[in-house]
Amino acid sequence: MGEDSASDGRGSGRDIKLVVPGEALGPAGDRIVGHGVGRRGDLLIATRLGHLCEQGSEVSVVPVKTAYMPRPGDLVVGYIEGMRANIWFIDIGAPFNAILPMSLAPGKVDYGATRDAMDVGTTILCRVQEVDESHSSVVTMKGMGLRKLNSGFVDQVPPHLNAQIIGSKGSMIQMLKEASDCRIIVGQNGRLWIEGEPEGVRLVRDALKMIRETGHAPGLAGRVQSLLDS
Amino acid sequence: MANPLVPGLLRDHLSELADRDERVDGRGQWDGRELTIEVNPLPNAEGSAKVTMGDTIVFVGIKFQIQTPYPDRPNQGGLMTSAELRPVAGRHYEPGPPSPESIEMGRVVDRGIRESGCLDVDALCIIPGEKAWQVIIDCFAISDDGNMFDAFGLAAIVALKNAIVPAERFDVGEDYPLPISLMPIMCSYHKVGGRFVYDASREEEVGGDERIHITLGDDGHVHSLQKGLKGVFTAAEFDEIMTAARQRVSELQEIVNNL
Amino acid sequence: MHRALRGEFRVFLTVENTECVMKMGGYGDVQMIDEDGKRVDGRGPGDLRPIEIEVGVVPVADGSASIRWGANYAIATVYGPMEAHPRKISRQERAVLDVRYNMAPFSTTDRMRPGFNRRSREISKVTSDALESVVQLELYPRSKIRVEIEVLCAEAGTRCVGLTAASVALADAGIPMTDMVVSVASGKINGVVVCDLNKEEDNYGEADLPMGVLPNTGDLVFLQMDGDLSPEEFQQAWDYNVNAAQAVHEIMVAALADRYGGGE
Repeated sequence: MGEDSASDGRGSGRDIKLVVPGEALGPAGDRIVGHGVGRRGDLLIATRLGHLCEQGSEVSVVPVKTAYMPRPGDLVVGYIEGMRANIWFIDIGAPFNAILPMSLAPGKVDYGATRDAMDVGTTILCRVQEVDESHSSVVTMKGMGLRKLNSGFVDQVPPHLNAQIIGSKGSMIQMLKEASDCRIIVGQNGRLWIEGEPEGVRLVRDALKMIRETGHAPGLAGRVQSLLDS
Repeated sequence: MANPLVPGLLRDHLSELADRDERVDGRGQWDGRELTIEVNPLPNAEGSAKVTMGDTIVFVGIKFQIQTPYPDRPNQGGLMTSAELRPVAGRHYEPGPPSPESIEMGRVVDRGIRESGCLDVDALCIIPGEKAWQVIIDCFAISDDGNMFDAFGLAAIVALKNAIVPAERFDVGEDYPLPISLMPIMCSYHKVGGRFVYDASREEEVGGDERIHITLGDDGHVHSLQKGLKGVFTAAEFDEIMTAARQRVSELQEIVNNL
Repeated sequence: MHRALRGEFRVFLTVENTECVMKMGGYGDVQMIDEDGKRVDGRGPGDLRPIEIEVGVVPVADGSASIRWGANYAIATVYGPMEAHPRKISRQERAVLDVRYNMAPFSTTDRMRPGFNRRSREISKVTSDALESVVQLELYPRSKIRVEIEVLCAEAGTRCVGLTAASVALADAGIPMTDMVVSVASGKINGVVVCDLNKEEDNYGEADLPMGVLPNTGDLVFLQMDGDLSPEEFQQAWDYNVNAAQAVHEIMVAALADRYGGGE
């Protein structure tokens, strides 16, 4: 949606028609059912509130909101919600908590010493290792850059707007970093870790607030640029 | 209401901001969020108000019932305040019986109204010794983004000031406006990042510490005080808060009078 | 249900006020529709009460909608999908829908005491059953989706109003559904079948038929009935509901478009 101009709103191959759950999208024919689309007899129907997207023969709906569904390889910012003798339960903003086993913790942790190593409320940067059929996920902190986050601040955007944040080729996140002079790490789960001078952090948070509130409307990049310039 | 999770970074960040005299949303220490007040949005209540402070949204409805006065106070009616914080108002809420927080909230709002004497319970008599009015203030949360106390307190007094006693419906005479003699207003202050601020957002409440609720009436008269949660504050901090409260109460009274 | 209530009122009022007994009497005694088919509030037999829907009224929620329907005023919020607490309610293969319908104490003429209420429990259950027919729960195994319906002002048909508001709130929250549920109640007053009963009509009428309809297929996900309807009357009430549901659906879609920009 990045290049849309406000006047016509039609980007290449896209239609920004808003569709509601249950709305008929025409005969199925040999079209491919994409995300947010289902079948009802011979018809394709929208199953999510969002904007219709037809690319080639695939019909999908870009939802106005979506929950974060973890996938292997995702970098995420998590909070420790609880622990047992050999695992931690991590809130990763998904419909269910993830598990961090002792063996995948940073450094060496003794059995029973989980609370001493990382207590409830700790913020961590971790990676989704695997996800099973019931969407239960295991995360790891063994890997480059994965660690406890002891400073800085975590803000949130709804996961479906993550694509806007990263922008085409990471341009929007670059804009934010330059204007604010902050270190920013974008979690796939819609959580961003920000560190820098308080004015910079405030600038990033204001930009994120604008993205949260107006991200569904076209022309986002322009609006964010104006905010950062002022 | 379940105990919210407090990610460690939030508290540190709030401290950092407080050291620089800043708050998460850019407000000043004593600044309130955007305020809206709607009078009588609820047709089935005898008086009502909707108040929003930032993303906090509450309704208060006034209902009247008839009760039998106590034998030793044959002319006196009653006042009861109830606060409901139902799961509709937040992600962190859990369904169940009224939480200690909601009970405390009802009592704090009640104290502010009752102690001010703005409602003369002796004037609620219908037939001495037999019938008197009971005024019920129902505080109802729709969205919790912090400072529910002040939102309830403000909605309560606005609702009371616009309440009509439903004498006709109960067949005891003609309807008349409930006489409210003054305007008590509650202001709450939370310790966030080591200093007190006004109109804390939920983020600030979750990452903050103790709080204090002050109800002032006309001419700065103090009607009730309540300190909540653990922690200490100094006499100097208290003075600062009282000065801020006097100012804010005066502003809010003006806003309500101009509705 | 209605007859039992009227019976109680009759006993009470005979003691207190004979004039009221004459007014209430048995069914058909209260004149609520004239020879031209005009109802007490000016509507024709097939007309809906005025309806306004607003989306996204509770920013802290994942999805929300407010609805004014006649004098009814209700707000629905949705949270989730989220971790299912307590553990015992979670299901391995799909999400659970946790629906709460509640009436605020000031929503009725006589104050409603907060707390456990059988009627609210029943309505929460039938609302949940209706919504489960459309929400694609299998996409979020072991999690929970909360739906909170709060009635702030009640004027007949609150279960329909609540269910309709919940559908809009679920769409706003981005929850996947095969359709949106639309709910309307029709009935009979003074022997005439009418659409969308108001308070007097609900209290003194002879029948009440609330339905939850899927507007794209005409399928039913919610159905209750009280009173007395002949087969023809039943069909008429049914048709009123199905047609009215289409009109209400348009209002729902317009409200969602208003919030998210439906432009082409």
